[in-house]
Amino acid sequence: MNAAFVTAMLSAALVAAVPLLLASLGEATAEKAGLLNLGIEGMMLSGCFFGFLAAYQTGSSTIGVLAGVLAGLLLGLLFGFLSISLQVDQTLVGIAITILGAGVTAFLYRDIFGRQNPSAGVDAHLVNIPLVESIPVIGPAISGKPLLFYIAWLLVPAFAFMLNRTRFGLNVRAVGEYPFAADAAGVSVYRTRYAAIMIGGAMAGLAGAFLAVIDLQLFQVGMTVGLGFIGLAIAMVGGWNPWRIAITAIMFGLLRSLGNGLQILGVDVRTEFITMLPYIGIMVALVLLAGRTALPSALGVPYARGRR
Amino acid sequence: MSATSATTARRALLPSGARPFVSSLFAIVAAFVVGGVFLALRGKDPLAAYGLLFTRGLGTGYGVTETLIHLAPLLIMSAGLLLALRAGIWNIGVDGQLLVGALFAGVAGSAIAGSVPAPVMWLVAALAGMLGGLLWAVVPAILRVKYGLNEIITTLMMNYVALNVTSWLVKGPVKDPDVVPPQTRLIPKEMRLPDIPGTEIHIGLLVGLVAVLVVAVIFRYTVLGFQLDVLGRNRFAAIHAGLPVGKLTAFALLASGAFAGLAGANDILGVKGLFQGNWSPAYGFAAFAMVYLARLNSLWILPFAYFFSFLAIGGEMMARPLEIPTYFTEVLEGLMLVFFAVAVYFERKFAPADRSPDAMEAEGMPSAAITAEPIVTPELPVPTGERR
Repeated sequence: MNAAFVTAMLSAALVAAVPLLLASLGEATAEKAGLLNLGIEGMMLSGCFFGFLAAYQTGSSTIGVLAGVLAGLLLGLLFGFLSISLQVDQTLVGIAITILGAGVTAFLYRDIFGRQNPSAGVDAHLVNIPLVESIPVIGPAISGKPLLFYIAWLLVPAFAFMLNRTRFGLNVRAVGEYPFAADAAGVSVYRTRYAAIMIGGAMAGLAGAFLAVIDLQLFQVGMTVGLGFIGLAIAMVGGWNPWRIAITAIMFGLLRSLGNGLQILGVDVRTEFITMLPYIGIMVALVLLAGRTALPSALGVPYARGRR
Repeated sequence: MSATSATTARRALLPSGARPFVSSLFAIVAAFVVGGVFLALRGKDPLAAYGLLFTRGLGTGYGVTETLIHLAPLLIMSAGLLLALRAGIWNIGVDGQLLVGALFAGVAGSAIAGSVPAPVMWLVAALAGMLGGLLWAVVPAILRVKYGLNEIITTLMMNYVALNVTSWLVKGPVKDPDVVPPQTRLIPKEMRLPDIPGTEIHIGLLVGLVAVLVVAVIFRYTVLGFQLDVLGRNRFAAIHAGLPVGKLTAFALLASGAFAGLAGANDILGVKGLFQGNWSPAYGFAAFAMVYLARLNSLWILPFAYFFSFLAIGGEMMARPLEIPTYFTEVLEGLMLVFFAVAVYFERKFAPADRSPDAMEAEGMPSAAITAEPIVTPELPVPTGERR
């Protein structure tokens, strides 16, 4: 029973961690570039809805996921236009985009589907990994997952490489720490920040698409219930380091799936207590790490060329 | 040079007091236009929709009455929100604070209803609601003041915790044992808030007006209000001036929490009579958009609150005949904030020299252009690990 329980918990936690991981990797990139993206919740929700809609209409999970990414990317572009080009307060822009995303997705879902709650009913492309499969306990938790699941975890080294080993990553850090110097050195602050927020938006959309198209295969009004905001906080808790973000995301995946685990064990705890754990956990994690991480200096500060 | 004088002349056409609201008006009109295109794309007739929205929402007695009833919690909530935003504190947790306040008021009110005179019960329930909302702001306040933790994230998280905690409480400890659905004991209709004589609007509306008035007085005539404004305008200046920054920050959060709790109590005492498990009015987003469109000006909240209340009620009234989901109101609110952001940009761009962004930034007011009242707007949020 124990081995089976550990397998089940690990399996559920790794899946539950994926949306948080994806959103958080994108948010880390945006924050590194100096953009605090509070619109992440609206972008993720849009990824959920437009991903679900496209998957439902075409019957293809791939098209669904791409649509989700596109929706997030477009909202990222809007965030960029308002906060980078027009230099409007990022918090205000973020909240506006979150309200807009929540409103548009809820409106369209109700308008198109009425009172029905259909399933996307698409192939999630489960992948069995030959050797890993047969590892006891851990193997079954890792193998047999949707393709996007593996892509998500492979994005961790990819983001680590991008942020730490490429010219783009260097530029991102430069425009987030000291945009004036970056500008003087010939780095386009605007272009770099636009690229960063588009990555942030696309990743939030991907996170939503994973949730609605691959994992649950359905849409619900407001279904992200703060997962985007948790992803934002995980980026901070993880110190904008993809590896630490991955570990933090797994921990919160564990918290998210704790309810099922306890049910298997037959422990009777009110679901409300389990459901609220990630939200409390984020606050605890932030307290423990408060002051220990150095924020990008220019986080939240609009850049106007030639101002100083 | 000619461009400058042209802008100055154009701006001079408008009374200075109302000038900043041109941006808000632009945001509203643009939101309606884009919202209309959105409706048309979905195969609905936007003109019919807006026609119904305005004729039913503004033109019928029922619409106006419902709007005024709905106005009360919006006024109370946005008065509190203003208190926080003017001090540069982003209390995004007003929805959670409202829920806890409503639950507290429902429990306290129904516990003593019948055994004390109704007005005493109202007072106790209102105080309980304020206490509930205040308590829900305590954690973000402590985390912000003691640990420098950004209140945006903590208040957001507390919203979701509130949903779960109230849902658990109302299913278990404070549930009315005599009925099946998860809800608190009902406060009988005759013991709820009475109507304003000659109307069908309960007296909670007056509470809302008083709440706005209190906040207006605080900002216009008291040292406290001045200090909150200084804090919101420039945190470091406030520290240098020796203001009790920690206390002011905590006050802004706790007070706006108490206001949100009172708004919850108002709905329980005036409309609902009990707290239901799945009740989540989520006024927060509307209140947020509205306070910004009112340019963080305490008295201008009044017309904007009426407008938003009308939107919510009119949106419901047009929903059924035209089969437009009520979420359309939320679409409009989101669009308004987006266009408001655009308008603020143009306002800054065409601002007279002395109010140019550069001059403002030199004074340390990064987003000062957003406010209309003498003083001003929240600073940029200082996220986790705030230095100094």
